[in-house]
Amino acid sequence: MNALHRRTFLKQAGLSAATLPFITGLPSLGLAAPARPRQRLVFMFSPNGTIPAAYWPDATGTDFQLKEIMTPLEAFKDRMLVLNGVYNKVKGDGDSHMRGMSCLLTGIELFPGNIMGGGGAPAGWASGISIDQEIKNFLQSKDDTRTRFGSLEFGVGVTDRADPWTRMSYAGANKPIAPISDPYQMYEKLYGQMKDKENLQSVLDTVKGDLQKVGKLISAQDRRLLEEHQALVRQMEQEIATAKQQKLRAAPPTLGEGVADQNDNLPRLSRMQIDLLVNSFVNDMARVATLQFTKSVGGARMNWLDIKEGHHALSHEDKDEAVAAKLVKINKWFAGELAYLVQKLASTPEPGGEGMMLDNTLIVWTNELGRGSSHTLDNIPFLLIGGAPGFTMGRSLKLDKVAHNRLHLALAHAMGHTLTTFGNPSLCAGGPLSLSAAT
Amino acid sequence: MNKNLPPRACVSFPRMVASKKCGWFVTVALLFGLLLLSIWLTPPASAAPFSLFSRKPDGPAIYKQQCVKCHGPAGQGVKDKYNDPLVGDWSVEKLTRYISKTMPEDKPGSCTGPHADAVARYIHDTFYSREARAKTQPARVELVRLTNRQHLLAVADLFRANEEPKVTPGKGLAVVGYKSRTIRREDKVLERNDGKIEFDFGKNRPEWAGEGTNGFALNWTGSVIADESGDYEFVVKTANGVRLWVNDDDKPLIDGSVSSFKGVEHTATLRLIGGRAYPLRLEFFKTSRDPLANVTLLWQPPHGARQVIPARNLAPERAAATFIIATPFPADDSSVGYERGVSVSKEWDEAVTHVAIEAATYVAKNLDRLTRSKPSDKDRTAKVQTFCAELVAKAFRRPLTDEQKNLFVTLPLHSAVKPEDGVKRVVLLTLKSPRFLYLGIAGSTQPDDFTVAERLSFGLWDSLPDAALMKAAGEGKLHTREHVTEQARRMLADARARGKMQYFLHHWLQMNHIEDLTKDPSLFPGFTPEIIADLRTSLNLFLDDVVWTESSDYRRLLLEDDFFVNPRLAQFYGTSANATEDFARVQFDPKQRSGVITHPYLLAAFSYNKSTSPIHRGVFLTRNIVGRALRPPPIAVAFKDADFKPGMTMREKITELTRPQACHSCHAVINPLGFALENFDAVGRFRDKDGNRPVDAAADYTQDDGGIVRLKGARDVAEFAVKSEHAHHAFIEQLFSQVVKQPMLAYGPDVLNQLRLSFVQSGYNVQKLLVDIVTVSALQGHEASASSSKKKL
Repeated sequence: MNALHRRTFLKQAGLSAATLPFITGLPSLGLAAPARPRQRLVFMFSPNGTIPAAYWPDATGTDFQLKEIMTPLEAFKDRMLVLNGVYNKVKGDGDSHMRGMSCLLTGIELFPGNIMGGGGAPAGWASGISIDQEIKNFLQSKDDTRTRFGSLEFGVGVTDRADPWTRMSYAGANKPIAPISDPYQMYEKLYGQMKDKENLQSVLDTVKGDLQKVGKLISAQDRRLLEEHQALVRQMEQEIATAKQQKLRAAPPTLGEGVADQNDNLPRLSRMQIDLLVNSFVNDMARVATLQFTKSVGGARMNWLDIKEGHHALSHEDKDEAVAAKLVKINKWFAGELAYLVQKLASTPEPGGEGMMLDNTLIVWTNELGRGSSHTLDNIPFLLIGGAPGFTMGRSLKLDKVAHNRLHLALAHAMGHTLTTFGNPSLCAGGPLSLSAAT
Repeated sequence: MNKNLPPRACVSFPRMVASKKCGWFVTVALLFGLLLLSIWLTPPASAAPFSLFSRKPDGPAIYKQQCVKCHGPAGQGVKDKYNDPLVGDWSVEKLTRYISKTMPEDKPGSCTGPHADAVARYIHDTFYSREARAKTQPARVELVRLTNRQHLLAVADLFRANEEPKVTPGKGLAVVGYKSRTIRREDKVLERNDGKIEFDFGKNRPEWAGEGTNGFALNWTGSVIADESGDYEFVVKTANGVRLWVNDDDKPLIDGSVSSFKGVEHTATLRLIGGRAYPLRLEFFKTSRDPLANVTLLWQPPHGARQVIPARNLAPERAAATFIIATPFPADDSSVGYERGVSVSKEWDEAVTHVAIEAATYVAKNLDRLTRSKPSDKDRTAKVQTFCAELVAKAFRRPLTDEQKNLFVTLPLHSAVKPEDGVKRVVLLTLKSPRFLYLGIAGSTQPDDFTVAERLSFGLWDSLPDAALMKAAGEGKLHTREHVTEQARRMLADARARGKMQYFLHHWLQMNHIEDLTKDPSLFPGFTPEIIADLRTSLNLFLDDVVWTESSDYRRLLLEDDFFVNPRLAQFYGTSANATEDFARVQFDPKQRSGVITHPYLLAAFSYNKSTSPIHRGVFLTRNIVGRALRPPPIAVAFKDADFKPGMTMREKITELTRPQACHSCHAVINPLGFALENFDAVGRFRDKDGNRPVDAAADYTQDDGGIVRLKGARDVAEFAVKSEHAHHAFIEQLFSQVVKQPMLAYGPDVLNQLRLSFVQSGYNVQKLLVDIVTVSALQGHEASASSSKKKL
């Protein structure tokens, strides 16, 4: 269920006989400097809870020390905001992993359904839209923030199964969005048209020559039709040539060949996806992205870390010291992937603007659980890195059991979307979290 | 305002400007364009003849003096001077400018201003423009590109295997049941066929699932058969987990494995080509916790209403998937009454290109399956090369020369770094080549056996020749009339011939334009979208039944008195209901009903929202059934019911409305035919009263020789038509147009008479007529036709 059906795709792309944009025109590249800085938002997900003792800084405020899991992010300490005390308070059907995942970005209950988890009542899909899609829809509704895709959903090693454990983005109630786990498929989505154009351009000369040859086989009266046809081919050739002069701001990344979607390739797949994500941002194809590592209850075997057991199985045994050490290693690896993303954004100048891309990108690293062994939805590890209006970074905060819906409201406000409630309204009391030092 | 039809009283419009005979098709766009006009004036003559303006320069004289020596007296060209005929589509203004600047060649600038204008006008109106040529030149077989329908079908067949699995519609789907929610062989407890998928298991386990605690599952497989081309909405209603695959074995069209107990309706839309079977699979599972279990598989076909997919559209065998392009195309030219590819446009070229990209992507994705090889295979390159060469030859409808193989296969394959890009380039090049896009591009200027094969397959199927036909052409077995007829007969058995026949019948009966048949619900309660959909099905079944029996008798189309009816229709039309749920033939009163002209679907289509429309019915009968030409109306008058005194019958109103002398010549034909159907109300039910007044369906019909025939009702019209030469001609010409898509006169002056003679001799066999038509067209200009043209058809 990863790719849209062709027909659906064509409909969504708004193709009609009158306008087939990707044959000649490139999508808007946003070359001109925007009126106000582009603000971007990324949700990065890793599963199975964290090891609290190796994750949460002891101190609050601006003077805090990073624990083991977060050490790969040391260089960006002044760009981060650690939010302890954020709770996923959504109750109802579904086990903790299901609600942890499918209520994480939606903040609303699951429908009753036929998916039976490890506890609780069986459940179905989330009953509302997720915050990334809500913000995407808002940005796409406005001329100055509209982009070709609005949002992109990246996956790394997400199993090819559609259930509430594997989906966190929702276009609406009962409408889960499948992340694209295959970087080649994502590449095709982002840059396939360019390749099509290149292939097309390579054959047009032959087509013209062929029309000429065929013209000799038919009567002069009939030749007129072929001459008209030839003129159209020439016209298309010129239009493609013109369109090609509109260069992308950043050339598409070069992906390694034949990296299969397999457990042992996760490190390579992760870097390919992150490269594509940053590239799509540089070319302003989207302002919102999700980056989902495996899935809730994800059982990646991190052989590259010398860990032979699956992630989820380990997470139940985190009271065992040796196991906890492995889980710290696993979570540290995720932090390292985040650091790679942050580093790329921090070293890429803001296209057509000032500063670096990280200044205008807020990354939210999150998880479906607070802790694996207890399956708690309290103290979900929420780490924010980068920059957004109204967010004072470089701090570690202990909040007082606030519903995560309020964090979503704050994120929406930072993106210019002044929602008053999101998800279950009863969990929005108090409004958006105030995350500015000024208040 | 009426929803179904534009108001019209004087209602016949020219279809063929240049043709002597008016066509049978009311051009809907034209009609709507005239909605607001109350008076329609005859347009002025297209251009005032220059000779009226005696003070102006004399065009013919200038032409004779300055142009003839190079262009010939009729613009036909002069050898070694200017070879090509002076034909084109420049306007007079553009010709004038061109002449002023460049002509005559030996003295440019000597013919300018009014002189250039006069000679340009003369050239334009005498032989240069399409209109002028139509007047002066005999009809000829024109170079045409594929129509949109042909394009769609040809691309689909390009990727079709030669041998398709046979399916038997009517048997429903094969189903396997499992006693647990997972599909494991050891849990298999049920195998049977289900006519339709509509099950409510309630809270309990079905008996076949036996005792158990782990839910149960059902897995239906087989094919779904699309009756008509268009968008199909598939719907699965269930409180449980389902996944549905249609025409794609890999990716589900609907993935509802996560369900909600309340019951969910999953929908997805898919474009299908009519007359073909598509693989379908439906997986259903109930988990132990699901309180209820139910599942229904429905669809909404084009022109149809949402309904449970009936058994007649399901087969237990799996068909192979068909590649169906999704790209929309600008409409084909149908100004002469049939769709034909006589023009190209930027939109068309872009659509063609987009199709090529679609197909290239499809091939690259399915390369392993299509080439029966894996990237790691040693002979991969050779297999890809072979596949590409076969693909190109199939698309071009003829074997490739070595030069072509190099140009279309080898060079593009080697031009790209990645193999899949090379393959994509081959496909792009092929689908953009004129050899694929145009009909009649031979290896030389003479038609050969491959040309004959192409004409046969596009005539009978609107698609590419199949392997057997290509083989016959390659072996020189399309060289005689007998060969060609034999192939045509073989090809009739293919589902694609049925698709083509349906396409023709729908045009003949104008069913392709009908979208909205709804009537005023206060006057016609119960005439629901379901009834309308059932009527279309009923008419389709009737047409298929008559045409595809051995006798295939055209007269039965007009004279039969039994129709296909399901219980819903039986109840609405008050006929005896049959016990079966599906359609069955039911006898109507032969005094009331007579063939398609009394089928309620058409009667309702040619009616207003609140009342009948004898004029719409009359024009349809005049042109399409009895085959008479109608001139353009001198005035157009809107029919407004409020203009008439209450209590008048429709017949009286129409008589009143068409009373002016100017209306007579046409309405003496139209009205009696339309009045003959007054026994049927706006939804096609039989009536003997119009309001409180008895219906008078009898009238005197004026024949073309001025003779008068008394027609007392629908059956009289039908009986008159089946004996009328005009009617036969109309039917033959229409079938010829849809099959050949070229002017009939281009095939000789006597073709129509020969075809009719053969038609009558065969007992009005429609299949035989189709074979005759396609044989005539296939052999045109071919040596076989020269040797046997004297033979009877």
